Amino acid sequence: MAIGYSIILGVVGLVTFVHGEVIVYGAFTGFYTLLLSRGNVALALLAGFAASWILGVVVNKICYQPFQQRGREVALIATIGLSITLRSSAQVLFGTQQKFMPDMFQNRFFALGDIRIAYTQVFVFAVVFGLCLLLQRIITKTYFGMALRAVSMNKKAAALLGLDVNRAILLGNALACGLGGISGVLLGMYYNAIHPLMGASMAMKAFTATVFGGLGSITGAAIGGFLLGIFENFAVAMLSSGYRDIVAFLILIAVLIAKPSGIMGRRGVELS
Amino acid sequence: MKPARKSIVLIGLGAVISLAIPLFLKNEYLLRVATIALLYVLLASSLNIINGYSGQFNIGHAGFYCIGAYTSAILAKKFGLSFWVLLPIGGFAAATSSFLLGIPTLRLKGIYFAMTTLGFSEIVRLTVLNWQSLTRGPMGIPGIPSPELLGMQFRSNAHFYYLILGINALMLFLTSRVLGSRIGRAWSAIREDEAAAQAMGIEVFRFKLLNLAYGAFWAGIAGCFYASFASFISPDSFTLDEGFSMLAMVLLGGQGTLLGPILGATFLTILSETFRTIAQYRLIIYGVAILLTIHLRPQGIAGSVFLRQIETARESFQVSFTKESEVDVSYS
Repeated sequence: MAIGYSIILGVVGLVTFVHGEVIVYGAFTGFYTLLLSRGNVALALLAGFAASWILGVVVNKICYQPFQQRGREVALIATIGLSITLRSSAQVLFGTQQKFMPDMFQNRFFALGDIRIAYTQVFVFAVVFGLCLLLQRIITKTYFGMALRAVSMNKKAAALLGLDVNRAILLGNALACGLGGISGVLLGMYYNAIHPLMGASMAMKAFTATVFGGLGSITGAAIGGFLLGIFENFAVAMLSSGYRDIVAFLILIAVLIAKPSGIMGRRGVELS
Repeated sequence: MKPARKSIVLIGLGAVISLAIPLFLKNEYLLRVATIALLYVLLASSLNIINGYSGQFNIGHAGFYCIGAYTSAILAKKFGLSFWVLLPIGGFAAATSSFLLGIPTLRLKGIYFAMTTLGFSEIVRLTVLNWQSLTRGPMGIPGIPSPELLGMQFRSNAHFYYLILGINALMLFLTSRVLGSRIGRAWSAIREDEAAAQAMGIEVFRFKLLNLAYGAFWAGIAGCFYASFASFISPDSFTLDEGFSMLAMVLLGGQGTLLGPILGATFLTILSETFRTIAQYRLIIYGVAILLTIHLRPQGIAGSVFLRQIETARESFQVSFTKESEVDVSYS
């Protein structure tokens, strides 16, 4: 999820508030597909990806494209507006109740000594890991990936070299949202439950992980997400579970103050 | 001469209408809505001081509001302090907290500062939620005493209406004075071009901090009023969405105008109150309002075309600037 966020930030050069809602819509699409297809997980992931991809295109049309010539604050405001609208619509569409995700492994697990590991956890981890590798390849090896990186470094120069900047931004954003949708489905499987309001805090965490790891760096986003998870669990162990969410915000502020480029950041993407 | 006379007429008209409302509105519910609308006028105006005049981008205004409300509620319950003492205390508590936020983070630009204000707002809310020994956490604080003046208790909605009207009038008067002074002009200069302002000898950081504290002060006062008006507060009243609602009001009305937040807050409060029965649609209204405003009329209802011209002028400047830096890159 943080990885999807990192692409948006790096490529579009924008902070988005809609990502949480993208995750929610992806998760619900996956959930309904899972119900309809009687537990076909691959189909659910694909549906989540597709739905969020479409949503990403919509977000791009509403929030980014009209405001490219204006300040980034304007686009940020637009994403806030869209985020509120989508979140409330989600409550109307999907109801305010929690939905329980069927577990495809019937809660089976295997034991490693004293540690019990559920198959679902393994599956989620494997998918995430696979996606990371795939994404890394796309970004570094393919033409599309190179276009994305070029645009994220310098839009004008990329345009001068004959790249269709708008198209790259559109695709990058759609891809990022699609990944968000997959992560929504995966999160639903991991926690066994999804909720229309679960997006907001997750988007903040994704953002924190991205900033923490370094804007625009995929490896950084992965490491940032991992470290954030560890810190949060430390906080829960030492204080109380209520303080879990505070940790993310404290880290966010601390990183922004101390080292805005993040741990793996490259210069130039931050503060401009 | 003429615009001045026009604004005097406008102010007079506004004063007469707002003073007369309780005489005609006998319905308690409608009067309550009017009071809430005025509360949001205060909040949106205080946010506008920060966002509209010095160009900081604060999206976590609910945090200051929360601090003001909880400070006064706790002090009122524990020490029985009177409302009139708590009003400034709530304001100063919020202003002090704004120093805590502002000193480390104000040198961040635009969206990064925005993210820290958002984080701040959530930290405040979560702390209130978890610090149960002091704030009773999710249960909230009930039974906050209502204010008293010359032996008279503020009970009815009309009393509270006049109280918040008075606070608003004071805020608008003071703010218009401040904005006309050297301080206010420094804020506008920072908004238009920070580097140029610094070159003209304005201590940018100090004035930004002052601006943030001034805006937070009035949000704290609004919180204090809310605590005694509702007589019950809980962390649920100070979510991020609350801050976003204020942002929507400021944007819809027009940033950087005194009139804008008044219009925006009144309009949106009444509109969302009309749809009260379907609570889920309330936030949709705010979201759509934000989107429509920035697409159709970015300067807001009351915003002038003039602001827009400045914006485009600044853009062309930035474009030429980036072009030069690109040339530098290609040579190095």
